[in-house]
Amino acid sequence: MLSGLRPAALLLVLLAASATGRATDWQLSLDTRLVSSDAYPSFMEGGLGTVRFGSGDSGVRLGRLRLALSQPLGELWSAHLDASVFDDQGGSVAGLTEAYLLFRPYPFAGYRFRLKAGGFYPPVSLENRAAGWESPYTLSYSAINSWLAAEVRIIGLEGTLEWLGTRSGHAFDLGVTAGVFGWNDRAGVVIANNGFVFTDRQTPLFGRVGQPGVAPLNGAEPFMEIDRRAGGYAGLEARYLDRAVLRVLRYDNRADPTDIDTLSHAIAWDTRFTSAGLRLEADHGWTAIVQWLEGVTTIAPQSQTFNWPFQSTFALLSKRFGRSTLSARYDRFAVQSNVADVYGSQDGHAWAAAYIFDADAHWRFALECVRVISSSTNREEQGGPPLATETQWQLAIRYALGSTIH
Amino acid sequence: MRPPARAYCSRSSGGAVGALAALCVLLLAGPAPAATLVVNVHTPDGHALPGAVVTVRALDGPARHATAVHAVMDQVNRSFAPDLLVIPVGSTVEFPNSDSVSHQIYSFSPAKRFQLPLYRGKPYPPVHFDQAGVVTLGCNIHDEMLAYLLVTDAPWYGRTNDGGGWSVEVPRGRYRVALWHPRLREDTDELERELTVGDSDRADLTLRLSKPLQPAPLSDRPHSWDY
Repeated sequence: MLSGLRPAALLLVLLAASATGRATDWQLSLDTRLVSSDAYPSFMEGGLGTVRFGSGDSGVRLGRLRLALSQPLGELWSAHLDASVFDDQGGSVAGLTEAYLLFRPYPFAGYRFRLKAGGFYPPVSLENRAAGWESPYTLSYSAINSWLAAEVRIIGLEGTLEWLGTRSGHAFDLGVTAGVFGWNDRAGVVIANNGFVFTDRQTPLFGRVGQPGVAPLNGAEPFMEIDRRAGGYAGLEARYLDRAVLRVLRYDNRADPTDIDTLSHAIAWDTRFTSAGLRLEADHGWTAIVQWLEGVTTIAPQSQTFNWPFQSTFALLSKRFGRSTLSARYDRFAVQSNVADVYGSQDGHAWAAAYIFDADAHWRFALECVRVISSSTNREEQGGPPLATETQWQLAIRYALGSTIH
Repeated sequence: MRPPARAYCSRSSGGAVGALAALCVLLLAGPAPAATLVVNVHTPDGHALPGAVVTVRALDGPARHATAVHAVMDQVNRSFAPDLLVIPVGSTVEFPNSDSVSHQIYSFSPAKRFQLPLYRGKPYPPVHFDQAGVVTLGCNIHDEMLAYLLVTDAPWYGRTNDGGGWSVEVPRGRYRVALWHPRLREDTDELERELTVGDSDRADLTLRLSKPLQPAPLSDRPHSWDY
C-alpha cells in the first residue's frame, strides 16, 4: 500500500497543476563528491562507522540527486514534494524525503495558523534551513540532525499558531506547534544499534536503513506503523526580529514497546526526546547555533525491557564573506544502554569544518573535514577498537537549476 | 536616566528693525511669507540618522492636507522595493510583483487591512489608503519580506537625508514636528516637538533619539534559506 503513495503523490501534484493552471515551481540539483575517508563502513553499509562514507567509499560518489516540486493548490493550499536519489540506499533507488500539503491562511488580527499534512521533518533543526532540508553551513549535519535525517519523520498532521509581533510594531514573533503522526514506530532502531552518526543522507519516507541481510539493521524500516497508536509532539518557537530563533520541542512516538509486527517481526521502538536550540545571526554574516537533544528509546519484547538513553549537543559558528561561507561545529554525543553487555552504548565528540563557495545561483563548491572520536561497545564486539578516530574529507560540486534559480 | 529628546529653535533677535522689515515683506510680497524649517535627527550617540520620517503639521490657521499621490511598491528579489513609503491620506499604491515567484501580500494593520491573492506581474488595481497610520506589509509565502507604508495627514512630510537632515519651506507660524522610523524603540510621543517659525528665514530643530534603533533586517542572507 505504502509503495503506492509515491506515484499517488506525484499524480496529485500533476493533476493539481493542470487543474489550477498555476505554474509548478521546481528545482533539480546534482551533488557529486570526491571522498577521502579512513572511517569504518557506515550504518547504511551494515557497519558501525560514524560518518557517511567509510574508507571503502573513498573516490567519486553521488552526494544527492534531488528534484523538488512546489505547486499552489488554489489560494491557500500548496503541495510540496522533495525526491532524492542517494547512492547508499541499500536497494531503494529513489524516494521522497518530504511530501506534504500546506495550508497557510492569511494572518488575522496579528495571528496566523498553518497546517501541514503528509510526511515532513518536525521543527527541531536550526541548522537544516536550506532547500531540501540541507545545511548551508556544512555538508555533514550535526549528530542531532543526522539522527533525524536517518529515522525521524512526521507522517501525519501539524498545526502551528503564530503571533506575528514583528508585523504589529513589536520585536518578537511567537509560535506554538503541535502534531500527531503515525508510521514512526521504528524511530530508535538506528540510534540503539549504531549510535549517533554524521551524515547528510536522508532516509526517504518508507525507505530502509542499513543493508538487508546485514546485521544489525538488516534493512530496517524506520517508518512503520506497528501498534496503531498515534504519536505526538508539541513545541514552542520565539523569534527576535530576524536575528534570533529559539525552539523547544517534545516528541513522543508513543510506540508500544511490547508490540511486534506480525508480518515482518519488526519490534516497535518507544522513542521520546526533548530538544532545544538557539540560532543567532548578526551583521557581517555571522551565525551561531547551539542545539541540544536528550531522549530515550525502549523496546520490551518477551517481557524484558531494554532502553537506550541518548544525548547530544552541538555548537556551530559560521561566517559569510561574500559568496564564501566558513563554518566550524563541535558535537558531543552519548548513548547509554541497560542491556547486560551494554549493547549499543557510545560516547564521543566530533569536529567539523567546512568552506562553501556559492559561485552563482547554479554552482556550489564545498570542502569539508569531519573528525569523530568515539568509543563504542558494539564496535569492540565486532573486533574493532573500543576507541576510534575517524576522519572524512569531502569535496562537493553541486549544480542546481529550476524555475526559481536564476 | 535617559536624556530627553532635545529640541532647539532658532529665533532671530527681532526688534523694531526686524518688525519693520517683516512688515515691508508682507506689504510687498503678499500673505504667508515662507521660512525654511530644518530638522536634523541624531541617534543617541550623536550620529546622523538617515531615512527617518518627519511630518509637520500647522497648529494655527486653516487645516491643510498634502495632495494625494499615486505610488508604487515593487517586489524584487523577494524584497519590497522600497521598504518604506510615506504617502498622504487618500493616496493609492500599486504593488507589482517583478519576481519570478508568486507573492501573497497582506496587511492586518488597523490603518488598512487588505490582501492581494497569490500573483505575479501586475494583475491588481492600486490599493487606496484613506486612513492615517502605519501599514505593515508582509508576504504570506515569504516571511522575510517586510515593508511599511506611513499614511500621513500632515501637509508636509519627508525623510532625512544621509546627513540626518530634512528641510521644508513653510509659512511662519506654530508647528508640531513628529518623527517616525520603523525601527524606533521609543514612543512616538516622545519624538514630537512644537516650535514657532518666527521672524527669521530659518528655524532649526534637532531631535535626538534616547534609545538606539532596533537592528536593521539582515540583508546578505540567501533567499533560499528559511527565515
